[in-house]
Amino acid sequence: MAVDPKLIRIGARVLALVAAAALAVGSVAAAALVPWPEHRVEVPSQEVQPAESRQLRVCPGPLFAIGEDPAAATAVSSVGPAEIVTATEPSGVALEQVPLAAPANARAAEDGAPIAIAAEPGGVDAGLLAAAQSQSVESETLSGFTAAACGEAVAESWLVAGATNLGRSGIVLLSNPSAVAATVDVRVIGETGAVEAPSALGIIVPPGTQRVLSLAGLAPNLTSPVIHVTSAGGAIAASLEHSVVVGLAPAGIELTGATAGPSTRQVIPGVLVPQAGGVEATEDHADGDDHPVVRLLAPGDEPVAVSIGVVPESGSGGTTIEAALEPGRVVDVPLGVLDAGAYTIRIEADAPVVAAARTTVGGTEGQTDASAPSDLAWTVATAPLLDGAVVAVPRGPSPMLHLVNPDAETAAEVRVVSGGSERVVTVPPAGAASVSLDAGASVVLDGTEGLHGTVSFAGDDELASFGVQPPSPLDSPIQVYPR
Amino acid sequence: MFPRVTAVLVVRHGGDHLDRTLEGIRAQVRTPDALVVVLTAADAQAKEQVGAAGPTQVVELQEALSFGEAIRAGEQALDAPGSEADALWLLAEDSAPDPGALAALAATLETARSVAIAGPKLMQWDEPERIAGLGRTSTRLGRSVPVVAGELDQGQHDRLSDVLGLDPAAILVRHTVWRALDGFDPGLPTVDDALDLGVRARLAGHRVAVVPEARVRFAADGIAGAEGGGRGRAVRRGARAARAAELHRRLVYAPPALVPLHWLSFLPLALLRSIRHLLVKRPGAIFGEFAAAIGTMFALGSVSRARRVLAGSRTTGWSSIAPLRLQPDEARRRHQAAAEARRVRARGRTEELQFLGAGGGWVLLATVAASIGMFSWLIGSTGVGGGGLLPLSGFSELWRNAAYGWRDVGTGFVGAADPFAGALAVLGSLTFWSPSFAMLLLWFVAMPAAAMGVWFAASRLTERGSVRALAATVWAVAPMFLSALAEGRPGAVLAHVLLGWLVFAVLGAATSWAAAATASLLFAGVVAAAPSLAPALVVGWLVGIAVSGRAAVRLVGLPIPALALAFPLVVEQVRRGTPFGLLADPGVPVVGPVPSAWQLALGFPGGGWGGWEEIVRAVTPLDPRLVASALLVPLVLAALAAVLTSDIRRTVLTLATALAGFATAVAATQLSVATVGLEAVPLWSGAGLSLAWLGLIMAAVAFLHALRRGAAIVSSVVAIFTIVAIVPSIVAIATGAVPLGPAGERNLPAYVIAQADADPRITTLRMEPESDGGIRATLEHGAGATLDDQSTLHQTRARLTAEEEELATVAGNLASRSGFDPGAAVQEFGVAFVLLAPAAGDGREATQAEGRARAALDGNPALVPVGETDFGTLWRFTDAEPDAAAARIPAGAGGWLATLITIVQLVIVGATLLLSIPTGAGREADRRPVRRAPRRRPAWRLPRRRRPKAVKADKPVTPAEATDAEAPAVDPEAAEAAEAPYVGASAVASDDRVPTPIPAVTDRTVDTGPADAREGDDDGR
Repeated sequence: MAVDPKLIRIGARVLALVAAAALAVGSVAAAALVPWPEHRVEVPSQEVQPAESRQLRVCPGPLFAIGEDPAAATAVSSVGPAEIVTATEPSGVALEQVPLAAPANARAAEDGAPIAIAAEPGGVDAGLLAAAQSQSVESETLSGFTAAACGEAVAESWLVAGATNLGRSGIVLLSNPSAVAATVDVRVIGETGAVEAPSALGIIVPPGTQRVLSLAGLAPNLTSPVIHVTSAGGAIAASLEHSVVVGLAPAGIELTGATAGPSTRQVIPGVLVPQAGGVEATEDHADGDDHPVVRLLAPGDEPVAVSIGVVPESGSGGTTIEAALEPGRVVDVPLGVLDAGAYTIRIEADAPVVAAARTTVGGTEGQTDASAPSDLAWTVATAPLLDGAVVAVPRGPSPMLHLVNPDAETAAEVRVVSGGSERVVTVPPAGAASVSLDAGASVVLDGTEGLHGTVSFAGDDELASFGVQPPSPLDSPIQVYPR
Repeated sequence: MFPRVTAVLVVRHGGDHLDRTLEGIRAQVRTPDALVVVLTAADAQAKEQVGAAGPTQVVELQEALSFGEAIRAGEQALDAPGSEADALWLLAEDSAPDPGALAALAATLETARSVAIAGPKLMQWDEPERIAGLGRTSTRLGRSVPVVAGELDQGQHDRLSDVLGLDPAAILVRHTVWRALDGFDPGLPTVDDALDLGVRARLAGHRVAVVPEARVRFAADGIAGAEGGGRGRAVRRGARAARAAELHRRLVYAPPALVPLHWLSFLPLALLRSIRHLLVKRPGAIFGEFAAAIGTMFALGSVSRARRVLAGSRTTGWSSIAPLRLQPDEARRRHQAAAEARRVRARGRTEELQFLGAGGGWVLLATVAASIGMFSWLIGSTGVGGGGLLPLSGFSELWRNAAYGWRDVGTGFVGAADPFAGALAVLGSLTFWSPSFAMLLLWFVAMPAAAMGVWFAASRLTERGSVRALAATVWAVAPMFLSALAEGRPGAVLAHVLLGWLVFAVLGAATSWAAAATASLLFAGVVAAAPSLAPALVVGWLVGIAVSGRAAVRLVGLPIPALALAFPLVVEQVRRGTPFGLLADPGVPVVGPVPSAWQLALGFPGGGWGGWEEIVRAVTPLDPRLVASALLVPLVLAALAAVLTSDIRRTVLTLATALAGFATAVAATQLSVATVGLEAVPLWSGAGLSLAWLGLIMAAVAFLHALRRGAAIVSSVVAIFTIVAIVPSIVAIATGAVPLGPAGERNLPAYVIAQADADPRITTLRMEPESDGGIRATLEHGAGATLDDQSTLHQTRARLTAEEEELATVAGNLASRSGFDPGAAVQEFGVAFVLLAPAAGDGREATQAEGRARAALDGNPALVPVGETDFGTLWRFTDAEPDAAAARIPAGAGGWLATLITIVQLVIVGATLLLSIPTGAGREADRRPVRRAPRRRPAWRLPRRRRPKAVKADKPVTPAEATDAEAPAVDPEAAEAAEAPYVGASAVASDDRVPTPIPAVTDRTVDTGPADAREGDDDGR
């Protein structure tokens, strides 16, 4: 049968077109579907372990009193010496103690100065040097017990404590242990927002010197200040002395170190509530110092919703408080009515916040105002610890180490070595544990990776605590990409 | 006593030529008294034929001797000459004498006692009415030229008698003179042997004469004289022999004092003449040029022997032969005639592109307007920046960065330059007073330049203006091109611009050396700008060689300049085990998202949908991917429809190009070879997409060209759809919503720039926080890194060098609280400044890394803070030294290797450049195939074909024309056509009445047959 050649030609062409289209679709499909081999170069980089440097801790030095001398109402002078305890791992490393100049303190010769404690390069690993100081004062205007860790000098720190309303005074201690002058900006944020204080910007702290600022002089009449200290040039170890006078009688004193930097998640371990009581979180007019509160600030630009978990260390019960933060305004949130005991406060926020908690121990004889407390403590949020840590326990009443395990899955086994004795403490998942320590001891912790820790002191009318902070990341290895 | 004539016949091959020669000898009116046959490495057939002829004597030699040596061997077998009248008749197997030849020659010797050598009129073997040779002379500078060659013999030269020399075949030499002159000079084995003999005879007081009545048919088989026939190899060999002979004679004839000077001049002269060979599109002659020069320079033994022989026989001065040389006015006349002939040949040779007539001007105008509209916001700035763009260095540094040597990037090292740096150097030199401005110009010119390239390329395939305009427009608005422009990728932009021109040049390379050389330069440019295209282009090159038949010789050299530029890089990359690094995009590595296969298929390499996501989502619920796809369907359909045309080869080639480009793009997405900071940089898939897009366009052109009607309408539809598809991209560029931007005043703080004025090597350590909490630490010298500083060798190194590890250690410790001595930064790298860039974005790790580094740098007593700048925080080292030794470029980096590599690269690129200069019109043979008149065929059928095969079909050439035309081409002297243009002289300016062929016509007809001898001739040049 003869087929029209024209038909054949047309058919062949249609076939060719279909084949070409199929080839095109097929190539795209093949490109998309076939798992072609890949070749991706490894990015060359080097992890640089910084050369060992002097490990340095700065103890803030003796407590100060403002206006002791009637002739100079704003002058500060120290009130007795502070007692310093050091701890290293391994023990017995030679330490150098360099007193810093404290030109503002007229009594520096008698009471001593802030001290920079340094281990020579290679003596200890980063974080395995610790020092702490404690001091009890009993005077007409100051009374109470303080304990503080000697911290590292850093470029930025947040002090969440203090008040400058009636009867409260605060002193900001800025210590520059480094070899270069520090230009320090101190910004105070209160319950109504940031306080304009141009005099607190650009403060020069010369090398090896402590400068002292009166908080009331910068920001008078604040009930809830948060102080943000930044330095350029030399690094600064900042602390805040917070003292209370109720009526005419002193009602407690605390020396607080820096709290953990802004984060969406904060843990405040070991908040001691010595006696039952408190104010409901919904109470709007919770004035005074005599109830547990947590102070919160969202440094960002957006309102922040915060969930505050208050969990007893025993692990049973606990409450959750919801709060809303205005950006740039400090809020003191009462923790509610609590039984006596140690609590862990966990804060979850949808934007970074800074936090610390305040507790008080009740009134004693000799107080004109019977309801006034006799001492107060600020417990700061801490950053997660590295695998090993050392804690120096200064002299004080019944020191106690509180450890919190934020990991909800696995328990942590912590070896606690102190004075030749060794204990193993199990910190349950999402729980806490506490260990009593010997005053004046040097404690070595092992297995603390990711845990948070606080050391608390509690006497009949004495209360104090300080956070166990990991070493600053400035010493940690860093990945460098030299291309 | 009757003079005795001994015929000496040199035989190598048997066959028809030998038969006819023997026959001719036997049929002589005056037969030779003896016939001595010299068999030099002869074959069996020759021996048999010679045996049958019954020679007086046979001298059999095993080795293949030259004509002169073979004659000498034969002559030695003879007795001493009895009288002065005894003569030798020197014959070769391919010189068949007419019956009266010997009688006429012998009569001349008898009647004129002073004549020592008499030569016949040599007629061409296949064309006995055309003169092959009638005496030889030399110019005043000693170049050997024929007195007459290639003319039809109408008796116009029959009164010629005295000449300077002769062609060697069939000359009659007095035996005594032969012995006195010691025969032919062994230093002249191939050519000029008889000319030299004539010169020496004249200097010995004899005369040399031609005897036009003696006719000898001569086939130029290469026994006596150079081989004729016009095959490429024979032409090259002949040119080399002629040059060697000329140089040899120069040394022999020169006064003793001048010999060393001549000797020294040979190589420089060879170099100069090579440049000329390139300019006249005769690259094949260069090798012979040097071989002749060097061979003669080291053959001093034969020169001194020849000088001895000459001195022994010479009795008169050189002035006696001066009147017989080619006179200057005759030389000038021949020169003019040759030039006239070239003009005639060149007439009508240039392609009629119809640039304005076919609408090219409008396309140019439109793309210029579009380009200015798109980049109007860049007008007035001094350069472009953003994305992968950096300023260019100054003029001299620009060129230094293009050469092997110190790579001034990072810690610096000695290594090969990217070929792209060479491209940048060329670009930057256009605006040598401010090289960075050239990049701005590139951005403005890119679109029209790309459009014109493809317009011309399309003009090789179609003469329809609408189709050419479609191709140019769609190419100029290609999505991957706009992406490259928007993201500031100079390599990809340059590759896209050059690809169209590359196609244009390659399509012309089949017929012209100039186009082939241009194509190879463009090939080098494309590969330099987008090395990822190299595999596809090399495959294309191999396919091109395979399908282009005899023209392949001009394509073989296509990758040579690219290879010369990339070779050092190839060696280094392969030697250190990172061959994939060769594919890395040159310039600043730009990290971008990896596109999906669908995005690639639509031509979007930037990981988006050409800006359609936002627009479509804002207006309709449609899927933006479908909208973008639908807009590109017409182009793809038009391209696929190329299978409906009858030109299968073109269809397959274009669609295979598209496929190869797409495969390249897909492969690019799978490869990351360079790193920057903590990122591995994926290859830019846009370069492959450019190739794919080009294939689609050419396929569409093929289809639309074959369409009988409606091509303009279909073209418009395709163009409009494609333009609509890229409107969002164009809007984004025109509004400046792209990484591209005007170049900043600087890319380091003003404080550093001010210091760099005094100390151009002042070093800044730049630290950038990375998103993983690490830092990127780089060194910048002077006013900062430049585009030409960049090195793929640096970016693709798999491991850190010792210097980089040292830099990492220094930077890591500077960014930490550390007991490290910060002075190391000054000592090791000469760092004067540390610049900490702010963290990009607000990633927690990056911010922390920045804070950490800031705190550590702030607390470092070796550093003084300078302050916050636009580029970050700046510190200065207190003990920084001006003009730090560690920051200097080591003197003599690269050493002799750098010099050698640079010279080789310059020579190759320079030679290609010379070859690409289009001086060849008229000199080069016209290799264009004959265009047939368009035939009206049914739709889908291509009206015209361009392949030689197709041309066979039409027979417009009569046999007579063909023979006429071929005649000059097969002439053995054709090799000298440009140099000694007597062919043209005889054809055009001689006063004979022979109708001369019109070269333009003849050359074309010559070109029609693939098996034609002429093709080979030209290929050889």
